[in-house]
Amino acid sequence: MSSPELAVHTLYSSHHGWLNAWLRTRLGNAADAADLAQDTFVRLLQRTERLELKAPRAFLRTIAKGLVIDHWRREEIERAYLQTIAHLPEAETPSAEARALVIELLESVARMLEGLRPKVRQAFLLAQCEGLTHKQIAAHMGLSLRSVERYVADALYHCYLLRYEN
Amino acid sequence: MPVDNALLERRNEPQHQVVKQAIQWLLRLRNNHGNSRLSRQCEQWRAEHHEHELAWQRVQSLQAELSHTLCAVPGTQVAFNTLENSAQGLSRRQALKLLSGAALIGSAAWMTKDTAAWQQWRADYATATGERRGFQLPDGTRIELNTASAVDLDYTAQQRLIKLTRGEIIVSCGGADEGSAFERPLRVESRHGTYDPQDARFILRQDGDCTRLNVTHGQVAIHTAGASVQAVAGQSYLIDDQRIRPAPVSDMDTGAWVDGLIVTRNMRLGDFLIEVGRYRQGFLNCAPAVADLRLSGVFRLEDTDKLLAILPQTLPVRLRYRTRWWVTLEQMA
Repeated sequence: MSSPELAVHTLYSSHHGWLNAWLRTRLGNAADAADLAQDTFVRLLQRTERLELKAPRAFLRTIAKGLVIDHWRREEIERAYLQTIAHLPEAETPSAEARALVIELLESVARMLEGLRPKVRQAFLLAQCEGLTHKQIAAHMGLSLRSVERYVADALYHCYLLRYEN
Repeated sequence: MPVDNALLERRNEPQHQVVKQAIQWLLRLRNNHGNSRLSRQCEQWRAEHHEHELAWQRVQSLQAELSHTLCAVPGTQVAFNTLENSAQGLSRRQALKLLSGAALIGSAAWMTKDTAAWQQWRADYATATGERRGFQLPDGTRIELNTASAVDLDYTAQQRLIKLTRGEIIVSCGGADEGSAFERPLRVESRHGTYDPQDARFILRQDGDCTRLNVTHGQVAIHTAGASVQAVAGQSYLIDDQRIRPAPVSDMDTGAWVDGLIVTRNMRLGDFLIEVGRYRQGFLNCAPAVADLRLSGVFRLEDTDKLLAILPQTLPVRLRYRTRWWVTLEQMA
């Protein structure tokens, strides 16, 4: 066994129990905690070159945090989506299947936009979802046209880096 | 080969400044729709350097993908309200429960492969990892999708366009396109070029840095931004952003997957495992000491665990399952 894999193996046997407990206090539920602990080690295996053994628990926590955030994002999007469509008349309510697809779709967009400042995200989404011109966005958000232009460009650049230079 | 390709790709990555310029062009054109002088200037800028063109193509397709995806959410303001509302909820929860100054960006930075889920959603036809499927299209064309592959169809009154967004397909032309009143040419597109077939059957495999084309019947005209080549049955080409070049002889049968097989001739074990890894979830590799062992044979893809289990019968290796999703081949002690 090569040394990076040995390192993962050692990490797993020494810290799996601890990680499980750590996740459980964040998520408040044992089944989700077990899933995310497992996922944490799967991610590690795909990234063995990044192993940092001086502080193994801090390292595991960094990965696990990312997964906790994914998990919460999913829950928040489900909640927000159901709330947004709650007022629709029954005839226009999407089927369970259509809802699941839309949630998955919005999740991938949200993941892409994560880390953007709220104003940058809002300006970008107004342009993308609602098709507003930069002038309309500036009026709507009470910003200068220059700021809106910069925000929209920043957001696209952020997406580019995430997609092509990760 | 994979190492060379990775180096090549890195060398050709557009500079950050160029990406920012491409974004400026895109936004300028969108805010001045129909301004032909501006369009010409943008085209000039793109033609100045292949980096410009690459950055432009990427920025434009990213933008198109985002707006296409968001428009697919039914209802006015539903996408905007959901995304805004959930982003605020998420940042509240992070502030309350994680209580750490670390940059909280989720696992996206850890998993580039996650973007695959996105493409699968958008695509008209897609397969999961390990899955292979064939589809008969309404015009008589048949496509076979290999593992983890996706295509979008763009069929209109004037054209039949098949876009390979991920993975590998076999396209078999179906002749007359009788359902249509007009003549609609069939065209296939990958990230690196477009392909106009004439009564052809061909295999197209898109990897990160290039696309491989194998023509098994008929002819296919290959076009990229700078070049065109007519490929005939029996020929293979590699197409990347720079050029179209004849592909080196492959150490496996490129289209055998359609019959559920990998057929190798004197193939490195390390390369073989990369191939097999395309068909299964998780982590599969081998110790460096055995990576250069060679193998020839016919292997069934339907159960890759069974496939791996027969390797120790022909090679001096042993199989080590650390977990279901973590498999290593090691030197026989």
